Amino acid sequence: MVTLDEIANAGLLQKPSGATPEVLERSESHYKPLTSFNLGKDLQYQQQFADIYFLRLTKIKPAVEEIASVAWDGTIIGGETAKKVERVLDVRQGELCWVTGTVYMDMALKPNILEDVSKDRWISAPTSVDRYYSEDGKDSVMLEDDSGRIQLVGDVLKDFFMVTGCIVAVMGTENANGEFDVIDIKFADLAPQPGRWGLSKPPAPVPKPSTKGRRVTPEDEDVEMADSPSSKPGTKIAIVSGLEFSGVDTSYAMELNLLLEFLLGEALDPAAQKEMAQISRLIIAGNSIAAERKGFGESTTDKKSSKKYGYDSSTYNPLPSHLLDGFLSELLPTMPVTLLPGVLDPANASYPQQPIHAAMFPKSRSYVAMPGATEPGWLDTVTNPWEGEIEGWRVLGTGGQNLDDVFKYVDSDDRLGMMEAMCRWRCSAPTAPDTLWAYPFQDDEPFVMKECPHLYFVGCQPEFGTKVIQGPDGQMVRLIAVPSFSATRELVLVDSETLDVTRIKIAV
Amino acid sequence: MDVYPKFLAENVLAEDKVVTYRLLSRALHVHVNTAKQMLYDFHKTQNEKRAGVVHATYLVYGVKPAVDLASASHNGGDGDVEMTSSMPDVDSVDDDVVPTFTLSIVAEEGLEDALAEYDEVTSIHLYSVGPLPTKDFTLLAGVANEVLSLGAEDANKNPGPISNPRMHRRERQVASAKAKTTAAAAHVKPKHEPKQEPSRLFPVKPAPAPAPAKITGEVQAVKPDSEKPEKGSSSAPSKKPAPALKRGGSANSSIMHAFSKATTKVQKAETSQPATPSGDDSSLQPMSDDGEDDTEIPQPRTRAVSDRKNKTEREEELRRMMEEDDDDDEDEEEKAESIAEEPEEPEEEVSTTEPTQDEPTEVATTSGDGRRRGKRRITKKKQIMDDQGYLVTIQEPGWESFSEDEAPVQPVAVKPKTVNSAPPALAAKPKKSGPKGSQGSIMSFFSKK
Repeated sequence: MVTLDEIANAGLLQKPSGATPEVLERSESHYKPLTSFNLGKDLQYQQQFADIYFLRLTKIKPAVEEIASVAWDGTIIGGETAKKVERVLDVRQGELCWVTGTVYMDMALKPNILEDVSKDRWISAPTSVDRYYSEDGKDSVMLEDDSGRIQLVGDVLKDFFMVTGCIVAVMGTENANGEFDVIDIKFADLAPQPGRWGLSKPPAPVPKPSTKGRRVTPEDEDVEMADSPSSKPGTKIAIVSGLEFSGVDTSYAMELNLLLEFLLGEALDPAAQKEMAQISRLIIAGNSIAAERKGFGESTTDKKSSKKYGYDSSTYNPLPSHLLDGFLSELLPTMPVTLLPGVLDPANASYPQQPIHAAMFPKSRSYVAMPGATEPGWLDTVTNPWEGEIEGWRVLGTGGQNLDDVFKYVDSDDRLGMMEAMCRWRCSAPTAPDTLWAYPFQDDEPFVMKECPHLYFVGCQPEFGTKVIQGPDGQMVRLIAVPSFSATRELVLVDSETLDVTRIKIAV
Repeated sequence: MDVYPKFLAENVLAEDKVVTYRLLSRALHVHVNTAKQMLYDFHKTQNEKRAGVVHATYLVYGVKPAVDLASASHNGGDGDVEMTSSMPDVDSVDDDVVPTFTLSIVAEEGLEDALAEYDEVTSIHLYSVGPLPTKDFTLLAGVANEVLSLGAEDANKNPGPISNPRMHRRERQVASAKAKTTAAAAHVKPKHEPKQEPSRLFPVKPAPAPAPAKITGEVQAVKPDSEKPEKGSSSAPSKKPAPALKRGGSANSSIMHAFSKATTKVQKAETSQPATPSGDDSSLQPMSDDGEDDTEIPQPRTRAVSDRKNKTEREEELRRMMEEDDDDDEDEEEKAESIAEEPEEPEEEVSTTEPTQDEPTEVATTSGDGRRRGKRRITKKKQIMDDQGYLVTIQEPGWESFSEDEAPVQPVAVKPKTVNSAPPALAAKPKKSGPKGSQGSIMSFFSKK
């Protein structure tokens, strides 16, 4: 409860004093992007997708087996000792055993590539269903490896999130129907976590000699902080997603303006502006450009009748990208930006999405790194998913498609739990390439989390959420579901020292 | 400093505009915080004069009671129970409530209510002043856009309250301009070179002899005068490779196809001149003019070509070739051909096509008067109506008699066939003309364009 009297004559509610306002300096961002998800230039799309599954199984299986053997070796159930079985096909009926493989979910509502092929549909349409999960219980879970496949049954399956592509070890017996009756399930759990400042150098703890003398006075402290971020907890990383600059929908245009003023530090009073100056970097996690919303009475067939080559202003609205460009070019002089593409953005549709091309930003592109440059650009348009090191923390972020797709498999709204599960599966996009379109990788499976991030954020989510999960070896991961700004008008600030999260709501 | 009451009075009171602190800051080049205070002062003084003449909006930033956000952050927790409980050795650290700040714009009229919703207000200032109570805050977005356009003009004068000395951008202007010119230069050259490359290098592999000969043709065609000084040195050997070429040409006709244009030109030039059977010696003189330097030509040619033509010429040429066709080989030959046109008799090219097409299936006799008569096999198209009333087109082979009297054709075209029956006088010639006949087919393709 705040009353008018309390705020009367507060800072800026008085006559101009004539005093020169101090100029703040933004904190430095220590930033080292990784290129884990960058595809090469000469892409082949001829190959099959099976290699992804093979590589994933090869990479994750040892970790799963290690955990499983610790847990299950010597387990005796009903007088029988659980044995390890190498391949799915080696499972013998009636024998208690455990085996590792890839989960495959057989769901009636799930798009099925075999169906497409058998019906001679060579281009699969994006799926229209909201969930693959169906209530009737006909969905079945299978475990497969390169030898074969076995159906999994058992109530224990309901206790876990299960999606196509995750690697699990299951213990149980094959029953008379040839199904594997599961007693327990194990995952790889969190991958080894690199230490802080694993890739980049921490800022020198020694303050600059020139400022040393002045630092003695406490009044000056705040101003000087910017020079030596390490001495002060609390530079911030701002994460926002789903800005959805739109050519037609202006209902949140004002909020976008306030967001800009907030990040620029123009809004608010000097004390708050000092805090804003601690925001060292903005990460835009997908969906910067709104989906085109078709008006009523407009249909695609109408448009096809008048085919026009080249630029057709009736079918293309440049305003959204123009607005985004304007937003970025306002912000960039004071703040570096990392830009991930999302499902709506002008990037490729399949995972991993490649960086949005700088040509989309006529005004901001001078901040983008030159091709082939070693230093990351001030405006860094990156892949989705993206991996990097910010302020020494390993960060993994996505534009949200991976989580949205996992969400369709399970009967739950616990998106943070799914993010946790992905970390524990050690796979950032398990459902690729089954239902999440992906590049058919041949030599590497980049979605496997070789190293556990400190911060894992997923953009374009319906609502905010965060939690910290811990691993068996003391790993701690901060999970953040970043809400879509266009829907929630929220942005997230992450403290670069503690990884604590602050939420900023913008309400008009 | 004191211009602001006037500015605001003009804009708000006279022109009924809404002025935000950012607009004021940009317009008067003052710090945003000063602008906020100006708005406050203006709002206060005007309303003291006459209440309600100016309406303000406030930007409020602070902490609201954490009811909604607590539930939001625990939403995840509820559905999460199964997962965490099933994860052994792992405790999910339940976060304490995430601190949430709310930034909102409120109209003057609703300020009291809005403030009541806050637990704590860390910052408040005037956002805008306008002549009317602000109902729809999206209208303020229009003002914000005005700020954007203002800001774009003099971004340097208003760096904003927070500067970032580490900001770096690439030097686009300089770099791109440089890149453009180099690219343009590079563009022309590579385009030119690769085209020559195949013709220069390719023949070396299959048969050393044909290569020089063929290039001779091109050189001669491309730049008869510029080559002269270099040519003089090797005029003598020029004749000998030529026959070799012909033999090789008939054997590896596939390879020679690519160069057939130039090759045939040379041969034609040669054959037309050494009409006398004495061949080598007598041809030496005429050849020195245009066809020599067989062995050396490859390098001089490229060098000379790229040196001689200035950039604009090359670009012009490039452009023309782009327009005509994509196929490099064709272009190359076409170019060579078009330049080489003068020394040749054009009708020869046309005439050579016929023998090639007809050769396999024609029976010809040469009469003494230089006329050639005979029959050739052709395919006739015939359209008939069958018994059911359908029109049916059938192709049937047939013979057609012909007689040709074009004099130049005869030595060239007929020879290959008549070699065996042999007019003995021209023993040397058939060899030369043989390949020409077989290669003429491609040449004719180009010549008609």
